[in-house]
Amino acid sequence: MIEVRHITKTYGKKQNIFVALDNVSFTIPDGASVAILGKSGSGKSTLMHAMSGLDRPEQGEVVVNGQNILKLSSKQIDNFRAHQMGFVFQSFFVQANETCAENVSLPLEIAGVNERERDRKIEAALEAVELIDKKKSRARDLSGGQKQRLAIARAIVNDPKILFADEPTGNLDTVTGAVIENLLFDYNKKKGITLIIVTHDSELAAKCDMRIHIKDGKIEHIEQRKENA
Amino acid sequence: MKVRDIVRRAGRSLRQAKARTLLTSLAISVGAFTVTVALAAGAGTQSYTDSLIKNNGDARNLSVFPKLDDGENKTPKEYGVASESSTKGVLSDKDVEKIKNIAGISEVTPVYNINISYMTRGGDAKKYEADISIKADQRELPLAAGSLADNKVAEGSIVVPEDYLGVLGFDSASDAIGKSFTLHFEKQQLFTGAVAEGKDQTYTIAAVDKKGSVLQYSAALRISPADGKKIYEFEKPSASQGNAYFGVDARVAQSADLTTVKQAVKDAGYSVFSLQDIQEALFQFINVVQWGAAGFGFLAILASVFGIINTQYISVLERTQQIGLMKALGARRRDVGRLFRYEAAWVGFLGGAIGTGLALLTGLLNPVIASALALEPGTKLLLFNPITSIVLIVSLMIIAVLAGYFPSRKAAKLDPIEALRTE
Repeated sequence: MIEVRHITKTYGKKQNIFVALDNVSFTIPDGASVAILGKSGSGKSTLMHAMSGLDRPEQGEVVVNGQNILKLSSKQIDNFRAHQMGFVFQSFFVQANETCAENVSLPLEIAGVNERERDRKIEAALEAVELIDKKKSRARDLSGGQKQRLAIARAIVNDPKILFADEPTGNLDTVTGAVIENLLFDYNKKKGITLIIVTHDSELAAKCDMRIHIKDGKIEHIEQRKENA
Repeated sequence: MKVRDIVRRAGRSLRQAKARTLLTSLAISVGAFTVTVALAAGAGTQSYTDSLIKNNGDARNLSVFPKLDDGENKTPKEYGVASESSTKGVLSDKDVEKIKNIAGISEVTPVYNINISYMTRGGDAKKYEADISIKADQRELPLAAGSLADNKVAEGSIVVPEDYLGVLGFDSASDAIGKSFTLHFEKQQLFTGAVAEGKDQTYTIAAVDKKGSVLQYSAALRISPADGKKIYEFEKPSASQGNAYFGVDARVAQSADLTTVKQAVKDAGYSVFSLQDIQEALFQFINVVQWGAAGFGFLAILASVFGIINTQYISVLERTQQIGLMKALGARRRDVGRLFRYEAAWVGFLGGAIGTGLALLTGLLNPVIASALALEPGTKLLLFNPITSIVLIVSLMIIAVLAGYFPSRKAAKLDPIEALRTE
């Protein structure tokens, strides 16, 4: 469970102060798929950064499974991200010169996973995104959709509890975008992890269990989809 | 992150920027090359000089001379009062006795100042002018023929230089051995310089010496100190006049310490020279040249440090996204800093390895250098020490890491949110 309590984040000082997040609170149940919706500059990315511990709001708490991650030391929060969270970005951020396996290996190296286990996990992750045959290929030779699948493999390789996806389909055409969406939701359902998608695409958002609308740093409204068959 | 993984990633990043990595390390390798060659040349020259001196001299021989007026001790002396040691620029028999009594001195031979009028094989053979010297030390003479027991010339024997053989009419060096040989000496009158008396002295040729690998060689006839003394006494204008020598050769006993004895002779009021002094002076010179050359190498390394800093800064800028991603995925600041420091270390290692590698190749030129300088074949003027090379490479890695400190800190401090902002 992720509880966001009264977080406020500002940029700049005095006259030039800009409130990116203004007293934001909500709760996400475990295993939910959540869309954070808003226009650019609305504060949705800042919210994701705060929830993942990359950014530290001045006020408020982010409680993940009973622990306020904003109170953790930088070492603990790095460790927390390495072991509990996965990230998918709009621009993929795959290392073009590295092979697929090397790309996927990075989070495992950061988390200090030993080598034998690493190989097994890399194969499983590449298998999950159907890129196992590209294991030794350089990432630069992949298409856009393949790159994003590779990024998903990298995000899920260390079995995170929470998966953040920042505009995961923003740079893709509708068909490949749909493949990526399916991958993310399937993984969310199958593994029961929490999926948090930051987007301004309402179609994508519609597929989520929960939609948090952000405007000017404030929560406009939260929609919950009732459990139905 | 594990050190091994970081090292591997560092190596991979460098391989991906091959040209840049190579160019940066080449800059370092220039310095490494210069330093290695300078040190090798220093070591080689030193060892060559060392062997040269050992081959060429009698280390236990001290050349003792009257104390030189160093111009500092200018207290006027009282007229008519005999000073303790000789100050007339010569040594007397009294001085010889005094030096002989210094502990550690086993033998003292005066340097007799003798002149020869001519040399001849006797009979109707032609007469030739020649240089003569007395062999008082026991240094080994390179011989073309014959032999010398204990490296000494026996009384009544003579050593003839190879260069003289031709005019004297010997077919070969071995032909000369055992042949008799006459020298003519003249006694000159005091004041006028006119010849008062002539004398022939006949010797047996014991050996023929040649120019070997010596520092300085002068072709001269060599006779024993005993014969030298006889001639000196004959040539002396007046028998009543006391003996005066330019200097004496004093031999230090095997059991005595050279430096201590030398100091004792010095304290007794004489000037002393030994091979040790020459060796020290030569080594000092070699050291100055060696470290001068190495200094240029160190300057080159210093210059290359800025190259490393520059390259690493560019690398950090280029890889902002990668750094941001690593940090977002939970990499510690320390890990990111290390990644860049290890890259710098790799560059330092590569530069050091290339530089020392090329320097080692110059070792192949040793025969060329030896023949160009007309040294004995097999002489190595470039002597490489593997430990020096390892120390140099490790130091270069450390220097490179230090140079990479600021770029790596910049990388470590990068804000992941900023780094990953693409729009």
